[in-house]
Amino acid sequence: MEVSAEAVLRRNNVHVSGSGTRTIMFAHGFGCDQSMWEPVARTFDHDFRVVLFDYVGHGGSDLNAYDAERYSSLTGYARDVVEIGRALGLRSAIFVGHSVSAMIGAIASLEAPEMFSDLVMVGPSPRYIDDEGYRGGFSRDQIDELLQFLADNHLGWSAAMAPAIMGNPDRPELGERLENSFCRTDPEIARDFARVTFLSDNRGDLAAIQARTLILQCSSDIIAPMEVGEYVHANVPDSVFRLLRATGHCPNLSAPEEVAAAIREFV
Amino acid sequence: MSDQFPAEDLEDLYETAPCGYVSVSPDGRIVRANRTLSDWLGWKPGELLGKPLNDILAFGGRIAVETHLAPLLRMQGHVHEIALDLLTAGGEKIPTIANAAEKRDTGGGHLFTRLTLFKAVDRRAYERSLLDAKARAERESRAHGEAALAREQFIAVLGHDLRNPVAALAAGIRLLRQREQISDRGRSILSEMEKSAARASNLIDEVLDLARGSLGGGLIVERNADAPLTPVLEQVIAEMRVVAPEHAIEARLDIDEPLHCDRGRIGQLASNLLANAVTHGAVDQPIRFEAASDGEHFVLSVANAGEPIPEQARGRLFQPFFRGDARPSRNGLGLGLFIASEIAKAHGGSLDVSSTAEETRFTFTMPSAVPSAD
Repeated sequence: MEVSAEAVLRRNNVHVSGSGTRTIMFAHGFGCDQSMWEPVARTFDHDFRVVLFDYVGHGGSDLNAYDAERYSSLTGYARDVVEIGRALGLRSAIFVGHSVSAMIGAIASLEAPEMFSDLVMVGPSPRYIDDEGYRGGFSRDQIDELLQFLADNHLGWSAAMAPAIMGNPDRPELGERLENSFCRTDPEIARDFARVTFLSDNRGDLAAIQARTLILQCSSDIIAPMEVGEYVHANVPDSVFRLLRATGHCPNLSAPEEVAAAIREFV
Repeated sequence: MSDQFPAEDLEDLYETAPCGYVSVSPDGRIVRANRTLSDWLGWKPGELLGKPLNDILAFGGRIAVETHLAPLLRMQGHVHEIALDLLTAGGEKIPTIANAAEKRDTGGGHLFTRLTLFKAVDRRAYERSLLDAKARAERESRAHGEAALAREQFIAVLGHDLRNPVAALAAGIRLLRQREQISDRGRSILSEMEKSAARASNLIDEVLDLARGSLGGGLIVERNADAPLTPVLEQVIAEMRVVAPEHAIEARLDIDEPLHCDRGRIGQLASNLLANAVTHGAVDQPIRFEAASDGEHFVLSVANAGEPIPEQARGRLFQPFFRGDARPSRNGLGLGLFIASEIAKAHGGSLDVSSTAEETRFTFTMPSAVPSAD
């Protein structure tokens, strides 16, 4: 079924800003929404067309558009990316994906090769669970524990993600978005997304990636450990590996300047 | 009595507060923790310093800290009421509820993150039981829904399959009456049989309409103005006079033809209202059937004398399977008025009732103008 461009842009809460001939699209990872790209994205506004969006079930997306079957694999999320790209007429654009979005972007670039000429993967992992001859960093038991954790936070998350979150006086640039929502996630959808994310295995897709690819690896990232980043680098044909000084899994928030500079240098 | 309070010892408050305190550097290492927390975790005071926060978190919490907590803290400075499982030195889990806030310098630089932790063993058990109950309720409700659907489908199929044998019976009765030599007594029996077959056929139609309605198809209405409605209504009245000769039916039809409607369905509505009047109306007074239209509305009403409908029963008249009195009814399942009101709704109209000691009147009103296409 063909969805109209307008419907797609509304469904995924797409925001287009900036001015430039090239388009750079930022995609959030598991657990957050487009606001996590805000600090990095704003540094591209003056010379790029900047696209931000939320996956269905996250942030300001249309919760009613959630379809458990469509989103039962990363391919469904990648289809959303391709639909957004088509709605905006993207060609040879840059896709920046955080965490699970790195693989979603890779799948999207395979589905629509003309759409993205450059991929930036921030903390990518093609498979989280260890396998024979492969270390993803997680055991199956740990993933089950994570899913249980999300269930336990069913009550907590709803409250924590509620729109009533107060503004933050010492970061006024975030004020306006804060009023509305922050990383608001529907708890049921968050659980589905966690399952899809942490049980995914996209190792087979890496070798087919045609786009120029930059891998941004964080220091001491428990979600996407160093050797996973190196594995991605070794398997994506035209790829550059770059180790960030930033620690943890969200350098776009903890070290936005470093991430922005690395992306700029690459494109 | 003394007004003097003993001075609070803030250092002691920090160390032995009835909650855990831990401060973490921007790179995720513990820079300070209170004694309550180290006691819970089975570490000596001081042993926690320099450890990664991850070391005292169970796995789910580690991922949540990376994917949810840290981003939220960066963006909004604080996060409240997150369920976090701690990990003791012995590898056991302690459920807690955590609040966290970033401590920043005057320039907004991140100095450290403070977490306050409350043990929540009972609360977590309670929350899990709530979640279990919710999951169970959802499962049961799904199962009920499926069972109900299966029942409706069964009824639909059964109703459909019953149609043919009943139609065959009716055809057989007609043939007997027309072609065979039959005694007067036989004729009167055949006539009763014919009425019974017609009633069975009506019941089947009603059940099918109900099943279709509950299966989400709704009543199918095909409206057009290809033919006049008046002959259809005259036919319905004539049939009712045959079925219920003991009732006088006074009819007045004044319809501005053609009317844009589903004639078969309006005929069914009229038939159901008449059948209702025959069942509940007093025999010694006529049933009044009126149908008229002007440029704006089409109004069809059926009135009978007899006992008024009790006030409390009126609200439920149009619900399926409602039967006003307990006496064994000649006429069916209590679906007639429900279906009539569904037909009214499907025509963008309404079916209303008024009931007094003088008369009980059902009035169907619908707009007579052709609805604009949309």
